[in-house]
Amino acid sequence: MVVVYPMAYAIALSLQYYRVGGFAGLHNFAFAFQDRLLGASLRATLVYIVIAVGTEVLLGLALAVAVQRTIRSALGRTLTYLLFIIPMVTPPVAAGVSFRLMYIPEYGILNVLLHGLGYHGKPVLWMSTPAMAMFSVISVDVWQWMPFVFLVLFAGLQAVPPDVVEAAEVDGAGGWARFRQIDLPYLRPLLLLVLVFRVTDALRVFDPVQVLTMGGPGAATEFLSLYLYKIAFKFSNLNYASALALYIVLVVSVIFALFGRYLSEEVA
Amino acid sequence: MAHHRSPWRGVVLVALAGLAVVYLFPFVWLLSTSLKPTPELYTQPPTLWPVHPSLDAYRAALIEARDWVLLRNSLVICLATVLLTLALALLIAYPVTRLPVAPGFRRGLLSWLLSLRFLPSMVVVIPIFATLRVVGLYDRILALVIIYTAFSLPFAVWMLKGFLLEIPLEVEEAALADGAGRWRAFFQILLPMLSPGLLAASVITFALAWSEFLYALILTATPRSQTFTIAVWSFVTEFEIIWNQMAAVGVISALVPVGLLLLARRYVVSALTFGAVREKA
Repeated sequence: MVVVYPMAYAIALSLQYYRVGGFAGLHNFAFAFQDRLLGASLRATLVYIVIAVGTEVLLGLALAVAVQRTIRSALGRTLTYLLFIIPMVTPPVAAGVSFRLMYIPEYGILNVLLHGLGYHGKPVLWMSTPAMAMFSVISVDVWQWMPFVFLVLFAGLQAVPPDVVEAAEVDGAGGWARFRQIDLPYLRPLLLLVLVFRVTDALRVFDPVQVLTMGGPGAATEFLSLYLYKIAFKFSNLNYASALALYIVLVVSVIFALFGRYLSEEVA
Repeated sequence: MAHHRSPWRGVVLVALAGLAVVYLFPFVWLLSTSLKPTPELYTQPPTLWPVHPSLDAYRAALIEARDWVLLRNSLVICLATVLLTLALALLIAYPVTRLPVAPGFRRGLLSWLLSLRFLPSMVVVIPIFATLRVVGLYDRILALVIIYTAFSLPFAVWMLKGFLLEIPLEVEEAALADGAGRWRAFFQILLPMLSPGLLAASVITFALAWSEFLYALILTATPRSQTFTIAVWSFVTEFEIIWNQMAAVGVISALVPVGLLLLARRYVVSALTFGAVREKA
């Protein structure tokens, strides 16, 4: 009820003209293809997803393997676990605020740090040039969700039987060979899981971006959710916004249809 | 595995120490800013830790700016959401795991619930917004409770399902054989055994509802129903941002879920992945 009704309502909205009402057929759906701002938003979203999720997966994977191989003590592992749980459970709005407090040019600590490191040029405007704004919002995503990748993959590595690793060592397999031939096959399903979760989450990112840049400067960080928010709640065009929303549902459904069964044994 | 210490150990330890700084510093900076009296915000260069720490910013934000009302709203909404979510999740998870249900139906239901996890909130909120305005629930606490419950249910069902499967059927069968009815077997035998699961699910439901921002931003308008994340947000939109008060509400907003989830830390990853990842820590 809570899901089916809104969906039906969205379809009804999407088939009507904005303001004047009346049956519009697929007008709103067709308009999306001429909407240049939507194109820009899609491009920004894609850049965000690729860089943020790519960095998270590479860093998380490297860290999981490194910790698994070198940190043996229970205390060390527990401390690592606790450290990485914290960012994941921080409300995205609070994370956005704390990063904003580090990035603001007048008060931010980062420019002071850069100065201390010997950088004496103009203060870096972390949030007001397109490239730096993109970097700032990506940094929050990586900060918050690299730990998720790490924890999932680290848990996965615990399932590798120790005798397999020992046998490989006896055979003289180097670190890289062990990674390619033992760790990676065990991690493959989890890597897929992590990718599906992170890509779909990055696709709908809203909270930290709204707090940090509100989509700016210009539309440099106006990702899909922020664009939809603007159309629906600033311009009050619920009709066009619903059409866009239904496109997104379609994309997410395709992702789920393709990969959903890998997410859980129960669903398989 | 390597019984000798790997030469890389030192490198990894240094990297972890560096990461610890990167991960904890934003919190240190947030806390430090929240404890600064307003004049100290303008010293150049900024001080790392306040020279005269004070709780003025907290007092100003919570009492003078009346953000305690939003704090109370958040508590009410989260508690109601937890109760409603657990009751409904038990109603779904119990029959799915304990009663003979067609495997096709069971798999379909669970898969559908899982798919809801991937539905972007911004997509759902548009028709919900339009509907709430029509039925007069816009800017009402009740609306947020219903919506948060609907979107906590999928993972709560998955979590409780996991816990229920770990309790052997024989436990209940023994009680039933002793002449207890299904209700008594449920309330007196099963529920106490399930309490760790219920506790973990409540903590995670509470924390997720507490952190929610998008629905609250769009579906509330006044302190009648606004939540605490909106208090944090409203400092961002001020014309002249008061950094120390913004930091103070940020600290409170982060403290609640971080504290709660450190208690339920064993279940965080499995909850976020719908039980696909089991962990021990």
